[in-house]
Amino acid sequence: MPLLAFDRVAIHLGGREILSPTSFEVARGEFVCIVGPSGCGKTTLLRAASGLVAPQGGTVRRNGEAVTRPSREVAFVFQDYGRALLPWRTVQGNVGLALEAAGVPKAERAPRVGAVLDKVGLSAHAQKFPAQLSGGMQQRAQIARCLAQTPQLLLMDEPFGALDALTRHGLQDEVARLVREQGLTVLFVTHDLEEAIYLGDRVIALQAEPGPGRPSLARMLEVPIPRPRDQLRTKEHPAFLRLRRELFGFIEQGHG
Amino acid sequence: MVERLRAWCVPLFLLGALELYARTVAAGSDAIAPPSAALLAWFGAARDGSLWQATAFTLGSAALGLLIASALGIVGGLLLGLSPRADVSSALSIELLRPIPSVALIPLAMLVFGFGLRMETAVIAFAAFWPMLILARAAVRQLEPRLLEVSCMLGLSAWQRGWKIVLPAIVPRLFVALRLGVAIALVVAVTVEIAANPHGMGYAMMIAQQGLDPALMLAWLGWIGAVGYAINGLALRLQQRVARAMGEAP
Repeated sequence: MPLLAFDRVAIHLGGREILSPTSFEVARGEFVCIVGPSGCGKTTLLRAASGLVAPQGGTVRRNGEAVTRPSREVAFVFQDYGRALLPWRTVQGNVGLALEAAGVPKAERAPRVGAVLDKVGLSAHAQKFPAQLSGGMQQRAQIARCLAQTPQLLLMDEPFGALDALTRHGLQDEVARLVREQGLTVLFVTHDLEEAIYLGDRVIALQAEPGPGRPSLARMLEVPIPRPRDQLRTKEHPAFLRLRRELFGFIEQGHG
Repeated sequence: MVERLRAWCVPLFLLGALELYARTVAAGSDAIAPPSAALLAWFGAARDGSLWQATAFTLGSAALGLLIASALGIVGGLLLGLSPRADVSSALSIELLRPIPSVALIPLAMLVFGFGLRMETAVIAFAAFWPMLILARAAVRQLEPRLLEVSCMLGLSAWQRGWKIVLPAIVPRLFVALRLGVAIALVVAVTVEIAANPHGMGYAMMIAQQGLDPALMLAWLGWIGAVGYAINGLALRLQQRVARAMGEAP
């Protein structure tokens, strides 16, 4: 059984069709990236997978059961880390919130928070407030909080969109490593083609303004590039270049 | 440092000018006394204890009134901010009650409570309640929606959400409301004492005026200003300290 299944999921907002009936499945341990131009409903699709948004048609199933509301088994990394972190809590406190919510006894929290911070390389900054950290560090803190949830499924909404290129590359590699180590399943939304191909086992391309004969889901491409991947060599891999060309044409067309 | 000294130039100059005016043109006036005489009168009041007693009464009732106003205002504001139904059903009552000048309640408060602490506290609480209520409601309304989504995704209970997300998130705005409340409480306290209540700094100033003692009256006036300045400074200090403790970038 797939971990996550979209079964003819359709979403309308304010009378406008955002997502035409869309079906796809995500297997356990798979890293699926969703790309598309702005306004194509990729974030909405992710929110439907989380249970924050209820679709008007079709069903989202996780482990075979319909998703009707958020669950602790699913973690959501928001793009705007600055707003998603509690500014009045230190990094440690922010990560600990996930454990408080799950009712983890107080004595167990500190070691578990410490272990997660270690994993994302934030141990030295545990006592700092978000405002004292760089954007990349804040996003790491949010990822740490999501990992502390020990989720099955990690939903990431353009998590590196607001970061500079160097930080972005570092975090991409780190997320790839963490996902492999933890055996996580990931649904990753981005508007950056290269990021999608670099990270994904599979890339789903959405197009804006769906209608009759123009479904939201435009392409579904496997990424046959071995792991672990490398910022230089992977991006020179023939398969990478082929996929990039194929998706580039499509996205350009979508922007036209 | 130089900037701070410069800020003192104007008040010192004005005091000097008043001193000169009171000693020359208005010498022997029943209305105006030189600041130096006011200072002497202040020392007199400080020595016989009347200064401290009146100050304690005014500040005590202002603090008590503000405490009641904040407690009720914050709870009410949370309720109105979180529940649209409560907001709609109380909107008219609030708009009808809020414009009543707090001083207009003095006769009613006097009938109900008589002279004294309770009557003054009640009027202060009424005056400070409305801004606390309105600002607490606005603070809840301006809550970052992303934080509520985060609390949903983490699976926080309703109680945890209120205690760990909503309340801390509105604290900075509540402090703005509190500073406003402090100013209102002091103004209303002195007003009630001048108008009705035979206690506190306002009343002492009235007595000095009626006893044709402009030096003492001026001493009280200056003292009330100084106390207000100090209290506002303390409130600001407290606000900044809380903001730092809550992770606000310095």
